[in-house]
Amino acid sequence: MNKQINNGFRTGLIFGIINIFLILIGFPMVAGTIIKDAIHNDSTVLLGLNADILDMLIFMGLIGLWAGASGGRRLKGEVDTWLDALASSASSGFTNGLLVGGLAYLLGALNDAGVRISVYLAAILPATIKQLLLGKNTLDGALLEFGFLFVTGLLGGALGFALRGQWRKALGDWWKKIWSGFVNSAWVRKIRSHPLFMPAVYALGLVILYIIPQEAGKYWNYTLGTVGIYVLLGLGLNVVVGFAGLLDLGYVAFFAIGAYTVALLTAPNPHHLMWSFWVALPIGIVLAAAAGILLGIPVLRMRGDYLAIVTLGFGEIIRILATSDLLTPFSGGPKGVSAIGGPTLFGKPFSSDKDFVYLIMIGILLTIFVTTQLRSSRVGRAWEAMREDETVARAMGINTLTHKLMAFAIGAAFAGLGGVLFASRNQFTGPEDHNLMVSINVLSVVIVGGMGSIPGVIAGAFALKGLPEVLREVQDYRVLFFGALLVIMMIWRPEGLWPSSRRSMELGKADDNAKKNSGAPGGKP
Amino acid sequence: MEKTAVHKASMPVNTYRLIQIVLGVVFSAYVIWRFYDVFIGNPAYGADTWMRFAISGVVLGSVYALVAIGYTLVYGILFMINFAHGDIMMIGAFGGYFVFEALKNIPSPTVGDPHQVFLNAHPIISVILAFVVGMIVAAVSGYFLEKIAYRPLRNAPRLVPLISAIGASIFLENAALLLFGSQRRDFVNPVQLTRGTGWNIPVNGTTVILPYTGVLTFVLSVLILIALYLLVQRTRIGRAMRAVAENKSTAALMGIDVDGVISRTFIISGALAGAAGVMWGIHLGLVYYQVGFIPGIKAFTAAVLGGIGNIPGAMLGGMFLGIIEALGPAILGLPFQLKDVLAFGILVLILIFRPTGLLGEVLSEEKV
Amino acid sequence: MTTAIETLGLTKIFGGLVAVNHVDLTIPEKSIFSVIGPNGAGKTTFYNCITGFYTPDEGTVTFFGESLVGLGPDRVMYKGIARTYQNIRLFSSMTAIENILVGEHSRLTTNFVEAIFRTPRFRKEEEAALNEAKRLLKFVGLAGLGDQVARNLPYGAQRRLEIARALASKPKLLLLDEPTAGMNPHETKEMMHFIRNLRDELGITILLIEHDMRMVMGVSDQVAVLDYGSKIAEGSPEEIQRNPRVIEAYLGRGATTETVN
Repeated sequence: MNKQINNGFRTGLIFGIINIFLILIGFPMVAGTIIKDAIHNDSTVLLGLNADILDMLIFMGLIGLWAGASGGRRLKGEVDTWLDALASSASSGFTNGLLVGGLAYLLGALNDAGVRISVYLAAILPATIKQLLLGKNTLDGALLEFGFLFVTGLLGGALGFALRGQWRKALGDWWKKIWSGFVNSAWVRKIRSHPLFMPAVYALGLVILYIIPQEAGKYWNYTLGTVGIYVLLGLGLNVVVGFAGLLDLGYVAFFAIGAYTVALLTAPNPHHLMWSFWVALPIGIVLAAAAGILLGIPVLRMRGDYLAIVTLGFGEIIRILATSDLLTPFSGGPKGVSAIGGPTLFGKPFSSDKDFVYLIMIGILLTIFVTTQLRSSRVGRAWEAMREDETVARAMGINTLTHKLMAFAIGAAFAGLGGVLFASRNQFTGPEDHNLMVSINVLSVVIVGGMGSIPGVIAGAFALKGLPEVLREVQDYRVLFFGALLVIMMIWRPEGLWPSSRRSMELGKADDNAKKNSGAPGGKP
Repeated sequence: MEKTAVHKASMPVNTYRLIQIVLGVVFSAYVIWRFYDVFIGNPAYGADTWMRFAISGVVLGSVYALVAIGYTLVYGILFMINFAHGDIMMIGAFGGYFVFEALKNIPSPTVGDPHQVFLNAHPIISVILAFVVGMIVAAVSGYFLEKIAYRPLRNAPRLVPLISAIGASIFLENAALLLFGSQRRDFVNPVQLTRGTGWNIPVNGTTVILPYTGVLTFVLSVLILIALYLLVQRTRIGRAMRAVAENKSTAALMGIDVDGVISRTFIISGALAGAAGVMWGIHLGLVYYQVGFIPGIKAFTAAVLGGIGNIPGAMLGGMFLGIIEALGPAILGLPFQLKDVLAFGILVLILIFRPTGLLGEVLSEEKV
Repeated sequence: MTTAIETLGLTKIFGGLVAVNHVDLTIPEKSIFSVIGPNGAGKTTFYNCITGFYTPDEGTVTFFGESLVGLGPDRVMYKGIARTYQNIRLFSSMTAIENILVGEHSRLTTNFVEAIFRTPRFRKEEEAALNEAKRLLKFVGLAGLGDQVARNLPYGAQRRLEIARALASKPKLLLLDEPTAGMNPHETKEMMHFIRNLRDELGITILLIEHDMRMVMGVSDQVAVLDYGSKIAEGSPEEIQRNPRVIEAYLGRGATTETVN
């Protein structure tokens, strides 16, 4: 009993601190806006509280429930009665409420005393404080806030106790039953074993890929294109980080090289070369790959973790150079390059957002093709061995420097491709397109999706780049979230959400698998 | 083993060696020519200007040295670049900033001036308070950083804690952005420490200002460095730290609490970074959420320059880098805009020519 | 008989500590040669000097008449030397068969362009490589475990997989670093048998570091003894057992335990 109450107290403390942090960065209010958009659009007034406050309370309440449920969870080796659960969730809710209520009181009191808090804490405007105090005066508001979190904590504990363990199992069983029933049913088996099944799936996939941009509007095609560029970049970085285990934080530099190549070669300013997109494309890719090799030769001989910081520095150098006066006549300087040329197809311009979605898709398919082929080859195995144990890999006859260079160059080439497409689609490129955040976004995509996993990277790009596009309100919090996500993923699931699967090579389908894999494009990644 | 295995890559060694020599000769020749040009051929600057550069270099260098030691201590023990170290410095800077802001608002009327505030009435106490608070918040952040983001990954493959460190760095930076906003804040010093004031030294008929803030920064960081050196060399904690750096499992067998030592290392390096952050604020006068980013990378450069794992090396490397950064653009004829590029350039050059740093690395060897 | 490997005056110094001190060894082809010595006698350092992890400070290493000094570990592997490690170092999240395929790396020749386009040569080579890997898997008695991730294999299987990985490069010389560490007497006996087979069936020269005296005496043609980095004795197992210097430095202790057992 004591142990559980202690646990409840600790949980409440952690939740309280997280809660305070979230309030100070203004997140509950923003989350409230999202809830408002999702549930209702009118300004309901309930219990004398207006809609803004209610929506924020919904979010706070969910956290309160979670804190209670988590505080009142079953502990190993402890008696687990409803009394224990309630007592510990109460202590969790109490602590959580005390901290948040205390904060509300403090902020309210400071505000009442005339301190302009928003000068120091950017998110805490007087309106926010009012929202936090539920529109009441300072003391009442803080007490109400405390009471609210205490009660939701208790409720969460009770709910957690009532549903203890069962719902998960029930849900899991239900899903398993449905899934195995589906997979094992006679007609599914029949279809799956048909020789045309896989070709049909591929064909269907291609048809869908063709239809989507046709049906999507301009906005969605633009968004899809952006996500697609990130898929492309993610797949390229996946070769470097996922396959070869080299942490490259300056990936954006190669992206920038691609973008600037197409910009300087096809735009009217600053050089008026006006070359065709189709000429600039391969040049951009080759230049990016060459830069990868040039940077790689000194850097890849180093201890693995030096690489991260050197590439970080390199990315910064590119950005500083791009904005510097020194290169302004050459690269357009801080204002960037505009009116970048787009591709033409059979003499007709092929450069609407929709057209670019197709181009990007082709780029992605190409990347997937190349990376899957490489992965199940001598080179891919060498990369993986190097990632696992570099010393032993060398003793196996693997020239680690050339293999690292190869990974670096291939990754850079895809980044160059991405840069060319991105700049050409936007008809503009400038230093701000190539800041450190791009590298970090792409790295997050690869790590969250699953290092080395191609479907993982694609899913990661949609989740990390696509979702924030849809949920515009949380844009400001995106990068913070990425940072937290990297840490959490490393602790909780370093292999990513969708880890790469290993194909079976020895047994079962091994024999025909080997034949199929060497014949058809790409085995299972 | 790591050292031998990685630094001797297997490309035809002679080709690489040749490239190294050619590059080295070209680079040295360029530097010598620039020296000649700047000092004898076409002296562009007078002695007063050089002196200004040198002062700013030494002061910056002493800040870099403090931050660099944090990298070196952590690398020596965990073989990991603490990417978030620069952000710990930023936290320290904000700590000092808020102390000054608070003291600025506390009235402390004196006979002469009824509107006097605490900050200006008691500048010494204020500065001490700023440093104490800055160091404490940074040390606490360092402690929790290690506990949350690194400790669970102690035995994971090397890439994993590194990614976690990068995540932590991004998180801290953006937390500061969301908490305090994106604007660059003026770090308001006590009036006695106003930036730009100092002792006037006559040189060449003009006067060069030796700023009070610079002297404060330099003296304080030298004191801190001496204290740290004594701590590491003469105390039980220092001995335990060195033992853990040498070999974690043996140290554990000898009854040393390895986790505790690692925690303490993070607390110490956090406190140093915090002090550096407050110095940065007092001397350069700006705090914002990214204030630790560039100094962080530069301090890492300094740590590599001195030989990672090597504490005197980090001090020397920091000083050296500060001075190069201040004098380098003028000597090499680079635009001052590109002084950050110079620091990264140095990092790449060291890694090419002498990856073990000027004083050599002090790392225990991994076995094959 | 031709000489497989010869070291002359091989010396490695680590900051004042002479880990290997002027060691001369001549190892004939197709022999099983053991290097023994107390802990810290410099055996593993000796291995690392041969395999290119360390550059010796003095002396030469000649392998079938070619010098190995100054070659990196990967070049040494290409010359035909493979090794295992004292503490097993498999690529632990790759499957057993992938581990062996990595071992075949030095024998395969296709480059990444061929891999992307799956040329007929590539397909043929990959198929042959896979078949060879399966054969080796069977050879070390791991048939059926090929698709297991290496870290999930039992300890003895990991040891054997490591040997299979080393064999995959078709080496002329195999360096085994305490292959029976952590094995029970029965497993040790099997390993002894296995090592003899390697030499008899595949004609590989074997250089062995071992602690288990029964194993060393049972399997070796020749034994050299290192102590504090220097070679103090060399000869047939019988001679070594009788050598007073060896008994003093090392075997004395070992021999008594041996009799007690």
